[in-house]
Amino acid sequence: MSILDKINNLDRRWIYLLAWVFVLFPLLNPLGLPIPISQDARTWYDYVENEINDGDVVLFTPMYGVSGMPELFPMTVATMKHLMTKDVQIIVVSFWTEGPLVFNTLLTQVDPTDYGYVYGEDWIRLGYVPGSETAMGSFGANIHNTVTADYVEGRSLSSFPIMENVRTGEDIDVIVSFETGTPGTSEWMRQFNAPFGTPQITGCIGVSVSGMIPYLQSGQLQALMPGLTVSAEYEILLDKPGLAVAGVDAVSTSHVYVTLLVILGNIAYFMTKEED
Amino acid sequence: MSDVLRRIEIPIALTIIACLLQVIPYYVEIPALESAANTASNAVLIIVACATFVGVISIVQVHGKRIQRQSEGWYYSILVIGLVVIMALTGLPLPEMGLGVNNSVYNWLFTNVQTPLGGTMYSILAFFITSAAFRAFRARNLEASIVLVAGTIMVMGNAPLLTNYMPFIADISLWIRSYPNLATMRGVMIGAALGSIALAMRTLMGIERGYLRGGGEE
Repeated sequence: MSILDKINNLDRRWIYLLAWVFVLFPLLNPLGLPIPISQDARTWYDYVENEINDGDVVLFTPMYGVSGMPELFPMTVATMKHLMTKDVQIIVVSFWTEGPLVFNTLLTQVDPTDYGYVYGEDWIRLGYVPGSETAMGSFGANIHNTVTADYVEGRSLSSFPIMENVRTGEDIDVIVSFETGTPGTSEWMRQFNAPFGTPQITGCIGVSVSGMIPYLQSGQLQALMPGLTVSAEYEILLDKPGLAVAGVDAVSTSHVYVTLLVILGNIAYFMTKEED
Repeated sequence: MSDVLRRIEIPIALTIIACLLQVIPYYVEIPALESAANTASNAVLIIVACATFVGVISIVQVHGKRIQRQSEGWYYSILVIGLVVIMALTGLPLPEMGLGVNNSVYNWLFTNVQTPLGGTMYSILAFFITSAAFRAFRARNLEASIVLVAGTIMVMGNAPLLTNYMPFIADISLWIRSYPNLATMRGVMIGAALGSIALAMRTLMGIERGYLRGGGEE
Protein backbone atom coordinates (compact mmCIF):
# COMPACT_ATOMS: atom_id res chain seq x y z
CA MET A 1 0.00 0.00 0.00
CA SER A 2 1.44 3.36 -1.05
CA ILE A 3 1.67 6.30 1.31
CA LEU A 4 -1.21 7.99 -0.53
CA ASP A 5 -3.44 4.99 0.04
CA LYS A 6 -2.43 5.03 3.69
CA ILE A 7 -3.46 8.68 3.94
CA ASN A 8 -6.77 7.93 2.22
CA ASN A 9 -7.46 5.13 4.65
CA LEU A 10 -5.98 6.79 7.71
CA ASP A 11 -7.28 5.22 10.90
CA ARG A 12 -9.51 7.76 12.62
CA ARG A 13 -7.77 7.07 15.94
CA TRP A 14 -4.65 8.78 14.58
CA ILE A 15 -6.79 11.77 13.62
CA TYR A 16 -8.27 11.84 17.14
CA LEU A 17 -4.85 11.54 18.76
CA LEU A 18 -3.41 14.41 16.73
CA ALA A 19 -6.52 16.53 17.40
CA TRP A 20 -6.00 15.91 21.08
CA VAL A 21 -2.35 17.00 20.83
CA PHE A 22 -3.18 20.12 18.77
CA VAL A 23 -5.78 21.21 21.34
CA LEU A 24 -4.05 20.19 24.54
CA PHE A 25 -0.53 21.40 23.82
CA PRO A 26 -1.40 25.13 23.53
CA LEU A 27 -3.66 24.87 26.56
CA LEU A 28 -0.83 23.48 28.68
CA ASN A 29 1.85 25.66 27.07
CA PRO A 30 0.31 28.97 25.97
CA LEU A 31 1.94 29.99 22.70
CA GLY A 32 0.89 33.64 22.70
CA LEU A 33 -0.17 33.46 19.06
CA PRO A 34 -1.31 36.73 17.46
CA ILE A 35 -4.97 37.69 17.80
CA PRO A 36 -6.10 40.27 15.23
CA ILE A 37 -9.19 42.28 16.19
CA SER A 38 -12.20 41.64 13.98
CA GLN A 39 -15.09 43.97 13.18
CA ASP A 40 -17.45 41.79 15.28
CA ALA A 41 -15.40 42.37 18.44
CA ARG A 42 -15.06 46.08 17.74
CA THR A 43 -18.80 46.51 17.13
CA TRP A 44 -19.64 44.68 20.37
CA TYR A 45 -17.13 46.69 22.37
CA ASP A 46 -18.30 50.00 20.86
CA TYR A 47 -21.94 49.18 21.52
CA VAL A 48 -21.43 48.36 25.19
CA GLU A 49 -19.05 51.27 25.62
CA ASN A 50 -20.91 54.00 23.75
CA GLU A 51 -24.53 52.97 23.15
CA ILE A 52 -25.42 51.64 26.58
CA ASN A 53 -25.69 54.73 28.73
CA ASP A 54 -25.59 55.27 32.46
CA GLY A 55 -29.00 54.59 33.99
CA ASP A 56 -30.06 52.19 31.24
CA VAL A 57 -31.90 49.03 32.25
CA VAL A 58 -30.03 46.02 30.86
CA LEU A 59 -31.65 42.60 30.66
CA PHE A 60 -28.71 40.21 30.99
CA THR A 61 -29.66 36.69 29.98
CA PRO A 62 -27.39 33.64 30.09
CA MET A 63 -29.46 31.26 27.93
CA TYR A 64 -27.24 28.21 27.95
CA GLY A 65 -26.21 25.25 30.02
CA VAL A 66 -22.95 23.57 30.84
CA SER A 67 -22.40 22.28 27.29
CA GLY A 68 -22.24 25.87 26.04
CA MET A 69 -19.94 27.08 28.78
CA PRO A 70 -16.57 26.42 27.10
CA GLU A 71 -17.50 28.76 24.26
CA LEU A 72 -19.92 31.23 25.84
CA PHE A 73 -18.81 31.62 29.44
CA PRO A 74 -15.71 33.75 28.68
CA MET A 75 -17.77 36.31 26.74
CA THR A 76 -20.45 36.32 29.44
CA VAL A 77 -17.85 37.13 32.09
CA ALA A 78 -16.10 39.77 29.98
CA THR A 79 -19.36 41.53 29.06
CA MET A 80 -20.57 41.54 32.65
CA LYS A 81 -17.27 43.10 33.74
CA HIS A 82 -17.59 45.71 30.98
CA LEU A 83 -21.19 46.52 31.92
CA MET A 84 -20.31 46.88 35.57
CA THR A 85 -17.72 49.53 34.79
CA LYS A 86 -20.73 51.63 33.81
CA ASP A 87 -23.58 52.87 35.98
CA VAL A 88 -26.34 50.72 34.50
CA GLN A 89 -29.10 48.68 36.11
CA ILE A 90 -28.72 44.97 35.43
CA ILE A 91 -31.57 42.48 35.58
CA VAL A 92 -30.36 38.89 35.26
CA VAL A 93 -32.92 36.38 34.06
CA SER A 94 -32.82 33.13 32.13
CA PHE A 95 -35.34 31.16 30.15
CA TRP A 96 -32.89 28.26 30.03
CA THR A 97 -32.94 25.76 32.90
CA GLU A 98 -29.27 25.93 33.77
CA GLY A 99 -28.96 29.69 33.29
CA PRO A 100 -29.00 30.56 37.00
CA LEU A 101 -26.34 27.95 37.76
CA VAL A 102 -24.15 29.34 34.98
CA PHE A 103 -24.57 32.76 36.56
CA ASN A 104 -23.62 31.34 39.97
CA THR A 105 -20.32 30.30 38.35
CA LEU A 106 -19.96 33.78 36.87
CA LEU A 107 -20.25 35.27 40.34
CA THR A 108 -17.14 33.35 41.37
CA GLN A 109 -15.25 35.44 38.79
CA VAL A 110 -17.06 38.76 39.00
CA ASP A 111 -17.95 40.25 42.36
CA PRO A 112 -20.52 43.04 41.81
CA THR A 113 -19.51 44.73 45.07
CA ASP A 114 -16.03 45.31 43.59
CA TYR A 115 -17.74 47.57 41.05
CA GLY A 116 -19.92 49.27 43.68
CA TYR A 117 -23.02 47.39 42.59
CA VAL A 118 -25.60 46.84 45.35
CA TYR A 119 -28.01 43.93 45.08
CA GLY A 120 -31.60 45.07 44.65
CA GLU A 121 -30.57 48.63 43.81
CA ASP A 122 -28.16 48.27 40.89
CA TRP A 123 -28.65 44.64 39.94
CA ILE A 124 -31.02 41.79 40.63
CA ARG A 125 -31.41 38.11 39.78
CA LEU A 126 -34.77 36.76 38.68
CA GLY A 127 -33.60 33.17 38.16
CA TYR A 128 -35.06 30.75 35.65
CA VAL A 129 -38.51 31.29 34.17
CA PRO A 130 -39.98 28.08 32.71
CA GLY A 131 -42.10 28.21 29.58
CA SER A 132 -39.68 29.15 26.81
CA GLU A 133 -41.13 31.67 24.33
CA THR A 134 -44.49 31.83 26.09
CA ALA A 135 -42.67 32.84 29.26
CA MET A 136 -40.71 35.47 27.36
CA GLY A 137 -43.93 36.92 26.01
CA SER A 138 -45.50 36.91 29.43
CA PHE A 139 -42.35 38.48 30.90
CA GLY A 140 -42.54 41.31 28.39
CA ALA A 141 -46.23 41.89 29.09
CA ASN A 142 -45.87 42.00 32.87
CA ILE A 143 -42.57 41.26 34.63
CA HIS A 144 -43.95 41.39 38.17
CA ASN A 145 -46.75 38.92 37.37
CA THR A 146 -44.45 36.49 35.58
CA VAL A 147 -41.70 36.51 38.21
CA THR A 148 -43.20 37.07 41.63
CA ALA A 149 -39.99 36.84 43.68
CA ASP A 150 -36.27 37.35 43.11
CA TYR A 151 -33.89 34.38 42.91
CA VAL A 152 -31.54 35.20 45.78
CA GLU A 153 -33.75 36.39 48.63
CA GLY A 154 -37.16 35.15 47.52
CA ARG A 155 -38.69 38.58 48.12
CA SER A 156 -41.40 40.26 46.09
CA LEU A 157 -39.99 42.19 43.13
CA SER A 158 -41.82 45.35 44.20
CA SER A 159 -39.71 45.45 47.36
CA PHE A 160 -36.52 46.10 45.35
CA PRO A 161 -35.78 49.71 44.28
CA ILE A 162 -34.38 48.54 40.92
CA MET A 163 -37.72 46.98 39.96
CA GLU A 164 -39.93 49.92 40.98
CA ASN A 165 -40.02 51.42 37.51
CA VAL A 166 -39.37 48.26 35.54
CA ARG A 167 -42.72 46.60 34.91
CA THR A 168 -42.95 45.60 31.25
CA GLY A 169 -40.73 45.03 28.25
CA GLU A 170 -41.06 48.72 27.42
CA ASP A 171 -38.95 49.55 30.48
CA ILE A 172 -36.02 47.44 29.26
CA ASP A 173 -33.44 49.50 27.33
CA VAL A 174 -31.30 46.70 25.94
CA ILE A 175 -31.11 42.91 25.97
CA VAL A 176 -27.71 41.24 26.30
CA SER A 177 -28.22 37.58 25.50
CA PHE A 178 -25.79 34.64 25.41
CA GLU A 179 -27.27 31.56 23.87
CA THR A 180 -26.84 28.15 22.33
CA GLY A 181 -30.24 27.60 20.76
CA THR A 182 -33.96 27.81 21.43
CA PRO A 183 -35.21 29.93 23.12
CA GLY A 184 -32.82 32.55 21.87
CA THR A 185 -32.56 35.49 19.51
CA SER A 186 -35.49 34.52 17.26
CA GLU A 187 -37.76 34.39 20.30
CA TRP A 188 -36.38 37.66 21.70
CA MET A 189 -37.07 39.27 18.33
CA ARG A 190 -40.68 38.13 18.30
CA GLN A 191 -41.42 38.91 21.93
CA PHE A 192 -39.33 42.04 22.58
CA ASN A 193 -37.95 43.58 19.40
CA ALA A 194 -41.23 43.44 17.46
CA PRO A 195 -43.60 44.78 20.14
CA PHE A 196 -41.25 47.09 22.09
CA GLY A 197 -38.41 47.77 19.65
CA THR A 198 -35.90 46.69 22.29
CA PRO A 199 -32.33 46.71 20.95
CA GLN A 200 -30.32 43.56 21.49
CA ILE A 201 -26.79 42.21 21.34
CA THR A 202 -26.21 38.46 21.21
CA GLY A 203 -23.29 36.20 21.97
CA CYS A 204 -23.64 32.78 20.38
CA ILE A 205 -21.75 29.58 19.66
CA GLY A 206 -19.97 29.35 16.31
CA VAL A 207 -22.47 27.01 14.69
CA SER A 208 -25.36 29.43 15.34
CA VAL A 209 -23.74 32.33 13.50
CA SER A 210 -25.34 31.66 10.13
CA GLY A 211 -28.80 31.87 11.69
CA MET A 212 -27.99 35.19 13.40
CA ILE A 213 -26.70 37.04 10.35
CA PRO A 214 -30.14 37.98 8.94
CA TYR A 215 -31.01 39.73 12.24
CA LEU A 216 -27.65 41.51 12.26
CA GLN A 217 -27.95 42.65 8.67
CA SER A 218 -31.52 43.90 9.18
CA GLY A 219 -30.39 46.01 12.14
CA GLN A 220 -32.61 44.17 14.63
CA LEU A 221 -29.46 42.87 16.28
CA GLN A 222 -27.01 45.62 17.16
CA ALA A 223 -23.95 43.43 17.68
CA LEU A 224 -23.03 39.77 17.48
CA MET A 225 -20.27 37.91 19.27
CA PRO A 226 -19.75 34.62 17.45
CA GLY A 227 -17.74 32.15 19.46
CA LEU A 228 -14.53 32.00 21.43
CA THR A 229 -12.22 33.72 18.94
CA VAL A 230 -14.18 36.98 19.00
CA SER A 231 -14.48 36.68 22.80
CA ALA A 232 -10.69 36.70 22.99
CA GLU A 233 -10.52 39.76 20.75
CA TYR A 234 -13.08 41.48 23.00
CA GLU A 235 -11.03 40.66 26.10
CA ILE A 236 -8.02 42.28 24.42
CA LEU A 237 -10.07 45.39 23.58
CA LEU A 238 -11.16 45.50 27.22
CA ASP A 239 -7.55 45.07 28.27
CA LYS A 240 -8.66 42.23 30.53
CA PRO A 241 -7.25 39.01 29.08
CA GLY A 242 -9.19 36.12 30.54
CA LEU A 243 -10.61 32.70 29.75
CA ALA A 244 -11.04 33.34 26.03
CA VAL A 245 -7.48 34.56 25.45
CA ALA A 246 -6.27 31.49 27.35
CA GLY A 247 -8.21 29.20 25.02
CA VAL A 248 -7.81 30.90 21.66
CA ASP A 249 -4.37 29.42 20.95
CA ALA A 250 -6.04 26.01 20.93
CA VAL A 251 -8.66 27.37 18.51
CA SER A 252 -5.89 28.51 16.17
CA THR A 253 -3.91 25.28 16.26
CA SER A 254 -6.96 23.03 15.96
CA HIS A 255 -8.30 25.00 12.98
CA VAL A 256 -4.89 24.89 11.28
CA TYR A 257 -4.87 21.13 11.91
CA VAL A 258 -8.30 20.69 10.27
CA THR A 259 -7.20 22.81 7.30
CA LEU A 260 -4.03 20.75 6.83
CA LEU A 261 -6.01 17.52 7.04
CA VAL A 262 -8.45 18.69 4.39
CA ILE A 263 -5.63 19.76 2.05
CA LEU A 264 -3.72 16.53 2.64
CA GLY A 265 -6.85 14.43 2.15
CA ASN A 266 -7.59 16.10 -1.20
CA ILE A 267 -4.02 15.77 -2.47
CA ALA A 268 -4.10 12.06 -1.66
CA TYR A 269 -7.56 11.69 -3.19
CA PHE A 270 -6.59 13.29 -6.51
CA MET A 271 -3.23 11.56 -6.81
CA THR A 272 -4.70 8.11 -6.18
CA LYS A 273 -7.56 8.92 -8.54
CA GLU A 274 -5.09 9.71 -11.30
CA GLU A 275 -3.21 6.46 -10.59
CA ASP A 276 -6.48 4.52 -10.86
CA MET B 1 -70.89 11.22 29.72
CA SER B 2 -67.39 9.76 29.31
CA ASP B 3 -68.12 9.29 25.60
CA VAL B 4 -68.93 12.97 25.30
CA LEU B 5 -65.67 13.93 27.05
CA ARG B 6 -63.69 11.69 24.72
CA ARG B 7 -65.00 13.38 21.60
CA ILE B 8 -62.27 14.67 19.30
CA GLU B 9 -64.06 18.00 18.88
CA ILE B 10 -63.31 19.03 22.48
CA PRO B 11 -59.48 19.28 22.21
CA ILE B 12 -59.84 20.82 18.76
CA ALA B 13 -62.20 23.48 20.13
CA LEU B 14 -59.87 24.14 23.09
CA THR B 15 -56.93 24.52 20.69
CA ILE B 16 -58.85 26.97 18.49
CA ILE B 17 -59.94 29.03 21.51
CA ALA B 18 -56.38 29.11 22.93
CA CYS B 19 -54.97 30.16 19.54
CA LEU B 20 -57.53 32.90 18.96
CA LEU B 21 -57.01 34.14 22.51
CA GLN B 22 -53.39 34.87 21.66
CA VAL B 23 -53.93 36.12 18.10
CA ILE B 24 -56.88 38.51 18.47
CA PRO B 25 -55.41 40.79 21.21
CA TYR B 26 -52.34 41.24 19.01
CA TYR B 27 -54.45 43.05 16.40
CA VAL B 28 -57.44 44.40 18.36
CA GLU B 29 -57.31 46.18 21.70
CA ILE B 30 -59.92 44.53 23.92
CA PRO B 31 -58.88 44.70 27.62
CA ALA B 32 -60.94 41.68 28.65
CA LEU B 33 -59.35 39.54 25.94
CA GLU B 34 -55.86 40.82 26.78
CA SER B 35 -56.40 39.89 30.40
CA ALA B 36 -57.65 36.43 29.41
CA ALA B 37 -54.65 35.98 27.10
CA ASN B 38 -52.25 36.88 29.95
CA THR B 39 -54.01 34.42 32.25
CA ALA B 40 -53.67 31.71 29.60
CA SER B 41 -49.95 32.52 29.19
CA ASN B 42 -49.42 32.28 32.94
CA ALA B 43 -51.23 28.94 32.96
CA VAL B 44 -48.74 27.69 30.35
CA LEU B 45 -45.86 28.66 32.65
CA ILE B 46 -47.39 26.67 35.50
CA ILE B 47 -47.98 23.64 33.26
CA VAL B 48 -44.38 23.77 31.99
CA ALA B 49 -43.07 24.06 35.57
CA CYS B 50 -45.12 20.99 36.52
CA ALA B 51 -43.66 19.14 33.52
CA THR B 52 -40.29 19.21 35.34
CA PHE B 53 -41.70 16.68 37.79
CA VAL B 54 -42.72 14.46 34.89
CA GLY B 55 -39.05 14.48 33.85
CA VAL B 56 -37.96 13.34 37.31
CA ILE B 57 -40.61 10.61 37.38
CA SER B 58 -39.53 9.45 33.93
CA ILE B 59 -35.85 9.25 34.96
CA VAL B 60 -36.74 7.26 38.08
CA GLN B 61 -38.97 4.89 36.08
CA VAL B 62 -36.44 4.25 33.30
CA HIS B 63 -33.40 3.85 35.55
CA GLY B 64 -35.37 2.13 38.32
CA LYS B 65 -36.28 -0.64 35.86
CA ARG B 66 -32.66 -0.97 34.73
CA ILE B 67 -31.55 -1.41 38.33
CA GLN B 68 -34.36 -3.83 39.09
CA ARG B 69 -33.50 -6.00 36.06
CA GLN B 70 -29.77 -5.52 36.58
CA SER B 71 -29.43 -4.92 32.84
CA GLU B 72 -26.06 -3.97 31.33
CA GLY B 73 -24.52 -0.94 33.07
CA TRP B 74 -27.22 -0.89 35.75
CA TYR B 75 -24.77 0.54 38.29
CA TYR B 76 -24.62 3.77 36.26
CA SER B 77 -28.36 4.08 36.81
CA ILE B 78 -27.78 4.05 40.57
CA LEU B 79 -25.44 7.00 40.07
CA VAL B 80 -28.04 8.86 37.96
CA ILE B 81 -30.86 8.38 40.46
CA GLY B 82 -28.57 9.16 43.40
CA LEU B 83 -27.44 12.44 41.84
CA VAL B 84 -30.99 13.40 40.84
CA VAL B 85 -32.09 12.89 44.44
CA ILE B 86 -29.13 14.82 45.87
CA MET B 87 -29.52 17.75 43.44
CA ALA B 88 -33.30 17.88 43.99
CA LEU B 89 -33.04 17.77 47.78
CA THR B 90 -30.16 20.22 48.15
CA GLY B 91 -31.81 22.60 45.68
CA LEU B 92 -35.14 22.73 47.49
CA PRO B 93 -36.11 26.36 48.15
CA LEU B 94 -35.78 26.11 51.94
CA PRO B 95 -33.00 28.59 52.82
CA GLU B 96 -33.83 28.38 56.54
CA MET B 97 -32.68 24.73 56.41
CA GLY B 98 -29.55 25.60 54.45
CA LEU B 99 -31.02 24.28 51.20
CA GLY B 100 -31.59 26.06 47.90
CA VAL B 101 -29.47 27.98 45.43
CA ASN B 102 -26.75 28.83 47.95
CA ASN B 103 -26.35 25.28 49.23
CA SER B 104 -22.69 24.30 49.00
CA VAL B 105 -23.33 20.69 47.89
CA TYR B 106 -25.71 21.87 45.18
CA ASN B 107 -23.20 24.39 43.84
CA TRP B 108 -20.23 22.01 44.21
CA LEU B 109 -21.97 19.31 42.17
CA PHE B 110 -22.82 21.80 39.44
CA THR B 111 -19.35 23.35 39.28
CA ASN B 112 -17.27 20.21 39.69
CA VAL B 113 -19.43 17.46 38.20
CA GLN B 114 -22.04 18.80 35.79
CA THR B 115 -19.90 21.56 34.24
CA PRO B 116 -16.85 19.45 33.34
CA LEU B 117 -19.06 16.58 32.14
CA GLY B 118 -21.10 18.92 29.93
CA GLY B 119 -17.93 20.51 28.59
CA THR B 120 -16.48 17.09 27.86
CA MET B 121 -19.54 15.99 25.93
CA TYR B 122 -19.41 19.16 23.85
CA SER B 123 -15.66 18.82 23.29
CA ILE B 124 -16.04 15.31 21.87
CA LEU B 125 -17.59 17.01 18.83
CA ALA B 126 -14.17 18.42 17.95
CA PHE B 127 -12.83 14.91 17.32
CA PHE B 128 -15.81 13.82 15.23
CA ILE B 129 -15.83 17.03 13.20
CA THR B 130 -12.10 16.75 12.49
CA SER B 131 -12.43 13.17 11.31
CA ALA B 132 -15.58 13.98 9.30
CA ALA B 133 -13.91 16.99 7.66
CA PHE B 134 -10.95 14.85 6.61
CA ARG B 135 -13.16 12.18 5.05
CA ALA B 136 -16.05 14.22 3.66
CA PHE B 137 -14.35 17.38 2.37
CA ARG B 138 -13.22 15.91 -0.96
CA ALA B 139 -13.59 17.72 -4.26
CA ARG B 140 -15.46 14.85 -5.93
CA ASN B 141 -17.66 17.08 -8.11
CA LEU B 142 -18.58 20.75 -8.54
CA GLU B 143 -21.07 20.88 -5.66
CA ALA B 144 -18.69 19.12 -3.29
CA SER B 145 -15.89 21.46 -4.40
CA ILE B 146 -17.98 24.54 -3.58
CA VAL B 147 -18.76 23.17 -0.13
CA LEU B 148 -15.10 22.23 0.35
CA VAL B 149 -13.77 25.67 -0.57
CA ALA B 150 -16.42 27.60 1.40
CA GLY B 151 -16.10 25.33 4.44
CA THR B 152 -12.30 25.44 4.48
CA ILE B 153 -12.26 29.24 4.18
CA MET B 154 -14.75 29.51 7.06
CA VAL B 155 -12.55 27.21 9.18
CA MET B 156 -9.45 29.21 8.29
CA GLY B 157 -11.28 32.48 8.95
CA ASN B 158 -11.89 31.40 12.51
CA ALA B 159 -8.21 30.80 13.23
CA PRO B 160 -6.56 34.03 14.42
CA LEU B 161 -3.15 32.59 13.56
CA LEU B 162 -4.12 32.42 9.88
CA THR B 163 -6.14 35.65 9.63
CA ASN B 164 -3.30 37.57 11.25
CA TYR B 165 -0.86 36.69 8.45
CA MET B 166 -3.46 36.33 5.68
CA PRO B 167 -6.09 39.00 6.38
CA PHE B 168 -7.75 38.36 3.02
CA ILE B 169 -9.03 35.04 4.45
CA ALA B 170 -10.99 36.96 7.07
CA ASP B 171 -12.41 39.20 4.32
CA ILE B 172 -13.50 36.25 2.16
CA SER B 173 -14.92 34.48 5.21
CA LEU B 174 -16.91 37.62 6.09
CA TRP B 175 -18.14 37.88 2.51
CA ILE B 176 -19.37 34.25 2.54
CA ARG B 177 -21.11 34.90 5.85
CA SER B 178 -22.67 38.18 4.73
CA TYR B 179 -23.87 37.31 1.23
CA PRO B 180 -24.39 33.67 0.20
CA ASN B 181 -25.09 32.60 3.79
CA LEU B 182 -27.38 35.57 4.46
CA ALA B 183 -29.40 34.96 1.30
CA THR B 184 -29.76 31.26 2.06
CA MET B 185 -30.71 31.80 5.69
CA ARG B 186 -33.29 34.39 4.75
CA GLY B 187 -34.83 31.91 2.33
CA VAL B 188 -34.87 29.23 5.03
CA MET B 189 -36.39 31.59 7.59
CA ILE B 190 -39.08 32.89 5.25
CA GLY B 191 -39.89 29.34 4.19
CA ALA B 192 -40.12 28.18 7.79
CA ALA B 193 -42.34 31.16 8.67
CA LEU B 194 -44.71 30.43 5.78
CA GLY B 195 -44.80 26.79 6.87
CA SER B 196 -45.63 27.85 10.42
CA ILE B 197 -48.47 30.05 9.19
CA ALA B 198 -49.84 27.19 7.11
CA LEU B 199 -49.59 24.83 10.09
CA ALA B 200 -51.30 27.37 12.35
CA MET B 201 -54.13 27.82 9.85
CA ARG B 202 -54.59 24.06 9.54
CA THR B 203 -54.62 23.73 13.32
CA LEU B 204 -57.10 26.60 13.70
CA MET B 205 -59.41 25.02 11.16
CA GLY B 206 -59.17 21.63 12.84
CA ILE B 207 -57.57 20.01 9.77
CA GLU B 208 -54.19 19.38 11.44
CA ARG B 209 -54.69 16.65 14.00
CA GLY B 210 -51.13 15.40 14.38
CA TYR B 211 -51.08 16.46 18.01
CA LEU B 212 -54.21 14.49 18.84
CA ARG B 213 -54.14 10.79 19.70
CA GLY B 214 -51.05 10.29 17.61
CA GLY B 215 -52.69 11.86 14.55
CA GLY B 216 -55.14 9.06 13.81
CA GLU B 217 -58.64 9.66 12.56
CA GLU B 218 -61.46 9.25 15.05
